[in-house]
Formats: sequence, C-alpha cells, structure tokens
Amino acid sequence: MNELIPLMVIVPLISALIISAFSKFNKVTKIFALIVAVCLPLIPLLSNYGLHYFGGYQPILDNVTNVVYHPAITYSFTFLQQVFIAMIGILTFLVVFVYLTKYRKVSGPYLFLLFLGTAAVTAMLLTDDIFHMFVFFEILALAQVGIVAASSIDYSYEMALKYMILGSIGSPIMLLGIGFLLAITGSVNVTDIAAAVHNGLVDIKSPVFLASLGLIFFGWLYASGFPPFHTIKSGIYSKAEPHGAALLQSFTVVSMISIVLIMIRIYSSLPIFEVFIVFFSILAMILGVSLALTQTDFRRMIGFLAVGELGFIGLGIGLGTQFAITAGLFQALNEIVITALLFIGFGAIVEATNEVDTRKLGGLLAYHPKVSLMLLLGGLAMAGVPPFNGFQSKLMLVQASLSCGFPELSILAIMVSIATFVVFVKTFYVMFLRPKPNDLEVEGKEVPRSMVFAMGILLIIILALGLFPDMVVNGISNFVGGIL
Amino acid sequence: MAQTQLAILLTSIALVVIGLYSAIFIDNIIKKIIGISFIEEGANLFIVAIGYKAGGVVPILMPGMDTSWFAANAAYPLPFGLVLTSIVIGASTLAVMLALVMVLYRRYGTLSTKVMLADTSKQEEYNE
Amino acid sequence: MKLYDQIFDVVKQFKKLFSPGPVTNADVSGSLTAEMFLIVSLILSAILLRHINILLAGIVTLILAVVLISSIPLIPKFKLEQEDSLEKMLFYAVLTLSIIVVFLYWGGNLV
Repeated sequence: MNELIPLMVIVPLISALIISAFSKFNKVTKIFALIVAVCLPLIPLLSNYGLHYFGGYQPILDNVTNVVYHPAITYSFTFLQQVFIAMIGILTFLVVFVYLTKYRKVSGPYLFLLFLGTAAVTAMLLTDDIFHMFVFFEILALAQVGIVAASSIDYSYEMALKYMILGSIGSPIMLLGIGFLLAITGSVNVTDIAAAVHNGLVDIKSPVFLASLGLIFFGWLYASGFPPFHTIKSGIYSKAEPHGAALLQSFTVVSMISIVLIMIRIYSSLPIFEVFIVFFSILAMILGVSLALTQTDFRRMIGFLAVGELGFIGLGIGLGTQFAITAGLFQALNEIVITALLFIGFGAIVEATNEVDTRKLGGLLAYHPKVSLMLLLGGLAMAGVPPFNGFQSKLMLVQASLSCGFPELSILAIMVSIATFVVFVKTFYVMFLRPKPNDLEVEGKEVPRSMVFAMGILLIIILALGLFPDMVVNGISNFVGGIL
Repeated sequence: MAQTQLAILLTSIALVVIGLYSAIFIDNIIKKIIGISFIEEGANLFIVAIGYKAGGVVPILMPGMDTSWFAANAAYPLPFGLVLTSIVIGASTLAVMLALVMVLYRRYGTLSTKVMLADTSKQEEYNE
Repeated sequence: MKLYDQIFDVVKQFKKLFSPGPVTNADVSGSLTAEMFLIVSLILSAILLRHINILLAGIVTLILAVVLISSIPLIPKFKLEQEDSLEKMLFYAVLTLSIIVVFLYWGGNLV
C-alpha cells in the first residue's frame, strides 16, 4: 500500500491542526489525540516500501544526455525510514499518553506542537528533496521552541529565545548552502544532485561546492547540537517538560541522521567531509560527557549526555564504511529509546519530589523502587552494558573503528562509555542510595502510573533490541549498502 | 547583464555579513533580531539571483508562445518558488521571536541582551 | 612538589565552581573524573594526527600534555566558556562558521 507513504506526514499534520482548532471540546480532543497517537506507529508498519511522487510527476528521462530528472517532490520509504518512523510514532504515542493522563484539561496548542514536530521529522526522514527537508527543518525548530516555551519551568522563555536566535543563524546559513548547490546543479532533488556529482558534471574541487558543504555542515551542527551548539541543545532539554524533552531529543537524533544521510549521498567523494564529521563528533563526545560530569541539575546532566552520545552516531557515520555507518544508525535508534527512557524516568522523580538539584536529593530507592530500578537499567544501557542495545551498537562502533585503522577512536569510544557509566553511578548514588536529607519531603507523592507504563514499554524495546539486534541491523546494513 | 547579477550577489553577501556582525556586537535584542533576520534575507536574495536571466521573460507559458523560444528565454522558475516558501517561514520565525521578546520585556523591563539572556544556570540551581 | 600543591589546590577551586550551595563528595569526584577524562581524551585525539604526519603527532601530543597538565584545574575555566549566556553561544557559533567556511573555501581541496 504505497498510498500510505504521504499519510505518515499528513495524518499528524492534519490532526495537529484539527486538535488546535477544536481544543475547547476537552474530552473529544483527548480521545481524538489518543486515536491519532495509536495510528502513528501503525501506518509505517502497514505501508509497503517504495517511492511516492507528489502530484504524480514521474521521473523524466532526457534522451539527449541520458540523465533522469525528478520533477516532483519525492518521498522514498525503505526499511530505515520504516524503523525510525515507527520508533518516533511509538515515542509520540507514549508522550501523548503521559501528557493526556497528567492533566485533566489538555492544551490544544501543546498537542499541536507535539504532532507538528512528529510530522516534521517524519517528512525529513522520508524526503528526497533537500529544500523540502529544509522547510520541515524550520517547522521542526518552531515546534521545538514551542514545546520548550510551553513548559512551566523557570527561565524556559529565555532558553527558547536563545535557541531561536541561534536557529535563525543556523537555518539561513544552511539555506545558503542549499542555494549554492542549486546554483551548481540546477536542482534540489538529492538523487539528481548526487548523480550530477558522481557523473563528474560538477567539479568537486571547486570552492563553491566546498563552501556549500561548509554551509550545510554548519546547519547540520545546529540541527544535531554538536559543538558549538551543545550548550543550547542541553539547555532546551532541561527546560522542557520531561515528556516533551523525551520527544525533543528524538527529534534531534532523527533530524541529525536525515541531514547527514543526504550529505553522505552528495559529498561522500570528498575525504574532508568525513574528517569534519569525525572531528566534531570527538569534540561533542568529550565536551558533552565532561560537562555532564560536573552538572548538579540532573535534567541538564541528561541533556549533556544526550549530546555526548550523539558523538557516537557521528563517529560511526564519519568512518564511512558500510559496517560503520550501520553501527552509527543502529546507535541512533538505540539512543532515541534510551534517552527517552531516562528523560521520562528523571521526570517522574521531578514529579514526585519537585526538586531537580542532586545535592538536595537522596534515599529515593525506598520510596520509588520501580522507577529507580528502571532508571538504573536505562543508565546501564546508555553506558553500553550487556545485554542492552547500547552494548550492541557500541561494540559495533568499536569494531568498526578498529577495522578502519583507528584504534585511538576505539579507545576514545570506550573511555566515553566509561565516563558515561561514572555519571550514572554518581547520580544514582546521590539520588537513590545515600541517606535522605532531612529537609526533603517525599511522603505522599506518587509517581504517575502512565510514566511507569511508558518506561516499561521503552525498557522492553531496549531489551528486545539488545537481545535480537539482527532484527534491525540487517535491514539498515542493506539500506547503507544501497546509498554508498 | 552580468553586472546586475553580480551586484545582487554582492548585496546578499553584505547582508549575511551584517547579520553575523550584529549577532555578536549589538546589545539591544530587537536590533539584534532585525540584524539576524538580514541573514535570512541575504540567503533569499542569493537564491533569487540564481534564477536571474539577462533579458529573460517571466516563466509563464502563455497561449500562442513558441515553446522552444520560451524554453530558451524564460527565467529559471524553481528558485522563486523556493524563496516564496522560505520568506513565509522566515516571517513566522520572526513573529515567534518577537513574541518571546515581548514576554521577556514585561518580565525584565529592559531590552538589553546582557541582562535578559544572561547565564541563568547559577541562580536557578540553588535557590534556598 | 609544585605540581602536587597544584593538584591539591584543584579541590579548593572546585568549591567555587559549585557555589552557591554546598559541595558534596560526589560532585568533587565527578569534577576530578571530568578533569582527567578531558586531559586524556584530548591527548588521545591528538594522536590521530599521526595519519597526517607522525612527527607532528608526537610534537603536538607532547606539547598538549605539558600544557594541559600544567594548567589544571581545567574544568572551572572550561565550564566558564560554555555557560548559558547568549553572548558566548553566539560568539562561538559565528567563530565556528567562519572557521569552517574559510577552511573549506581556501583549503578544502588540500585534504
């Protein structure tokens, strides 16, 4: 059923508009939002692989030059897109579920932002058109800012405005890079551009082509929160509501891989492209994890860790072999689930104690054993302890960098994993194991059950991916073989 | 008229550079946002300039036009379509930014970036 | 002895890092870990330069090691540069952009 491919974007987009328009009917809105959220992971699972041409404009073969042109905006749906969109759908469902059970009166605009963000990342993953991707990238930035500003946490407006101002530098710079590509090739379709580059119609040594790489690369740094944007990215995670932050980090991961996959297809013949990605990934890992070690606000700590873990994805992609890119993409999938679990779990602690400073917490294991156990397992998964999924992908990354002839990178990856582990041991001790401070009040406050349910589902996915990684690794490997 | 295109390209570069300058050196938040939106305008202007064709015609095929003449003389329509979308996005981003500035102005009573968007991590971390 | 004193002084410096508020054992040990992690990982990534030139990698690694170890504690200075103020964020963003574009435009085809 190829007709379902555009529906993956249209359903969340239309329902976002409907929900925000009819949000005064509280009960109807709740039921409708839940139904849409259930549909989101089902659509990609039911759909067939294939291409969708908007407007029905099929590719045109130029008989003179024997080149195929794609006049329509094209969505291509393969195994990779299916896995990631289904995962985003499951996460959106869980987040919407947590949100709907938390508040008696739901806010239509907030649900609008959640669905809008989901629609935007879905479109970014599916599209084969670089300008289309840019448009949804901007819409995604607006949705992210809205989700941050809608939270009731102190200083959330300030953080949202900072993110927006930085975004209004990052996005136009990326647009300028797209303009350079358009000027060279006369097309915005990635397949056409890649064909022009690989057939030698474009001089890859020309400064304009290289500058377009630099400009798009800068936009990618902004999208993925690599340095110099790691502070703002971790900041917006810490200023959003915990379930919102769980969704925000998945948006970041997906926008990162969707842009980088397009860049690989266009710039893979330039060796400097991979050098750049590896350089910034190393920087992100070092900065993210070392700053996470010094944080006292645990939401900020998870934010920095999420940025640091993104470095692993970049590392895999920067190494450039089929195995390494597969490992990077698998790590991306794992990171979405693990970080979401951590954000929701620590958010449950905030719900129960109303406190975010680790120095004022302690002894929570006796009060919230379920949450703390699941958080411990999530932390172990992120640090790369078997049998969880983080172990599988990190092992693949270490193997990949060894087989590429970079043993230093393997050592670095292992060291970052160990430092991540230290962060978790430290935080877990401070929050759950040490004696409770006298002035901390925890009695009588319950963790919302919907949050425990969401964490349980995510933990099952983590375990399933850790025990049977071949479910997704083979498919991703085939996809990567196709684009290289 | 290659000079026209060159002039447009130089203007767009100047706009981007002014935007980057104002991002660092201007303190008033409204002026800063105006300056930063220059970057967006510069990028738009650049893309418009790509589609420019010296002596070209509007890329609308009217009845009675010779198709091969039209193909040879019409300007490239794709950049204009892209820029139209991009302007709409830029306007909505600008609106959201200014709305946030309004809220923050009511809270702080100043438009200075140094006061409004300073480092807040210390204050919020440990307030007794 | 000087280096020993300096290392001992690090813990006192961390006190300022966490003010206002108390400094716990866990925070100081976390910061110390971060300190060591930073030094080791930066030196380790400097070894990657051996793919360009082995001599260069050796020199850079040695210089980096001496500079980093003699200027501990790094984390307070390091954290100061990555705080939440918009000024610093914008400065580093524009700096990175200019470095990337200048490097690629003029030196991109050397690699």
